[in-house]
Amino acid sequence: MPIVFACAASHAPGMTAWTEAAPREQAENFLGSYRRLGERLAASKPDVIVALTVEHWANFFLNSMPTFCIGRAAHYEGPIEEWLRIPKARVPGDRKLAEEMIDACLDGGFDPTFSDELLFDHATFLPLHFLNPNMAVPVVPVILNTLTPPMPTAKRCFAFGRFLGDLLERNQKRIAVIATGGLSHWPGEAKHGKINISFDEQFLATLVAGDRARLSQYTHEEINTEAGSGGHEIRTWIALAGAVQTWKAKLVAYEPVVPWATGCGLVEFSR
Amino acid sequence: MSLYQLQKLIYHVNRDGAQRERYRQDPAAFVKNYELTDDEARAALAVDVRALYGMGVHSLLLRPFTLLHKVSNEDYARALKGLE
Repeated sequence: MPIVFACAASHAPGMTAWTEAAPREQAENFLGSYRRLGERLAASKPDVIVALTVEHWANFFLNSMPTFCIGRAAHYEGPIEEWLRIPKARVPGDRKLAEEMIDACLDGGFDPTFSDELLFDHATFLPLHFLNPNMAVPVVPVILNTLTPPMPTAKRCFAFGRFLGDLLERNQKRIAVIATGGLSHWPGEAKHGKINISFDEQFLATLVAGDRARLSQYTHEEINTEAGSGGHEIRTWIALAGAVQTWKAKLVAYEPVVPWATGCGLVEFSR
Repeated sequence: MSLYQLQKLIYHVNRDGAQRERYRQDPAAFVKNYELTDDEARAALAVDVRALYGMGVHSLLLRPFTLLHKVSNEDYARALKGLE
């Protein structure tokens, strides 16, 4: 079966850790939309979720920082943050699919690293909390380095996503693909709390318009200046746009939530 | 300038429970395990947010490190005021 579901979602830890700090209407709109997105994911009856995700020094350090890493563990535990207010859990992996993906990448011109042990921080665990609330559907994490430069270019992320999408479309399993991160935010920086609404809206409009050329043209400097160090995570969204490049993107929700210090977006793709 | 070593120290304290415990028991001895300049060692031991930020410590290493030392959001923001 091909890809049966695709969405991109922000993962600001405040969504669960300090939900009530946000204006009630914003929080209810965004988190309600997030849960309904999870219901639609469940309705698509996926056998596995491929998560185009990032991390925040949970697994990797500067002694060895993979540009792309595919997890092939039997299971993953998270969240590592005690304060996230998401119960600790173990989510199954899918080693067979991960191995197929890794082999195909090495045959096809991409050279991801692989890992038999990855901890999930809020980047992966928070989206799963809303999209896979029982942690029952197995997950194959694909981690992109959006943490520290040099990072993969937007063009390369789109191409990597397109390659994975072509591969997953030919797989026997029913596969949901999710991307997580962004939009504009400056976590822990002097500009912490800033949200660049105009950048976020322009990026979302580009996704919805299906402007693949523009998505591949985002530069590191542009993202860094306009969307902040946390904004680099939009590379996962760009990869997803590559994975389902013939699909139509629909904006599900956008809320610039100041107490969560993040431009929070949800986009769903459909054939 | 040994930013790598400084960030490694912070990464170990943030992410490795056993190392964190050794750090808590004797911070001055712990920092000697890393090749730091005097300024870096002083900033790490003092949890000098502004100095560590200025030295280039990644914000997602620095904020968790300061949270371990109970630095509030307000104090953290105050320490970085003017660096925007």
